[in-house]
Amino acid sequence: MGLLKKKEPTSARSSTSPCADLRNAYHNCFNKWYSDKFVKGQWDKEECVAEWKKYRECLSEHLDGKLLTRILEVDGELNPTTKQADLKESS
Amino acid sequence: MVKAYKQEHVYKHPWERVSAASWRKFADPENKRILSHILEVDTLNRKLDTETGKLHTTRALTIHAPGPWFLHRIVGQDICHCVESTVVDGKSRSMQLCVVRRHKQQGGDWISSIELLTTKNISLKKFIEVEERIRYDPHPENPTAWTVCSQETSIRIKPLSALASMAEKVEQKCAEKFMQNSVKGREVMERICKYMEAESAPI
Repeated sequence: MGLLKKKEPTSARSSTSPCADLRNAYHNCFNKWYSDKFVKGQWDKEECVAEWKKYRECLSEHLDGKLLTRILEVDGELNPTTKQADLKESS
Repeated sequence: MVKAYKQEHVYKHPWERVSAASWRKFADPENKRILSHILEVDTLNRKLDTETGKLHTTRALTIHAPGPWFLHRIVGQDICHCVESTVVDGKSRSMQLCVVRRHKQQGGDWISSIELLTTKNISLKKFIEVEERIRYDPHPENPTAWTVCSQETSIRIKPLSALASMAEKVEQKCAEKFMQNSVKGREVMERICKYMEAESAPI
């Protein structure tokens, strides 16, 4: 089901998210950056920026508004200022 | 009502590897079979402080948790959404995760009748809340090679007397489920660590 509009929970097992490919691309890039650079102290530069941008664009296009609100409600209590602002800004 | 469960586990892998494995835990398709309750993981936000080496990330997890019939009756759905906030401090080598998961009432008839009985407009919306806090730190006795994971799960149930005994059962079931899942999660973590160890070994 994810955050995305889907009808059957059965479809959830293998992700049919329209952003799945972009998400994988970003997560692969992130994991590589994390292991190869970040933990070795090379955190002076943000990486995977292009992957992140494409993935975020897809997410904000496909996110189900109601579910997003629900998630933000929880998130808002964790960190009321930064996170909500960031999401709004990019949606 | 709040119940908390604490667990600790030592990974015989360095912090760098264990924290990297934590990122991969839900994403790997192989692990998806084992951690079948995790349906989707999306990164919603990320922030890297290039000065201090702190990495903040927010992810949304979609979890399938069917649970017992009475939980289903109360909650009205077996899919729940969680928000996971992670802070990794590259300098001090620590990783802290916090997952909040909240079951909300979906307006089932049983809940509605309870709601009618209450005189004031008590919101049942925040009915069950599960908060999980996980930390990965270098093991004090062997900080370069081992990692200690401390995990605390708190389950909070809205204290409505009419539902107290029911809530107690729900709580118990939730706790059991969490214990089972955290064992599974640990197995997956160990496997990813082993895999990464092999991957990074000099040829």
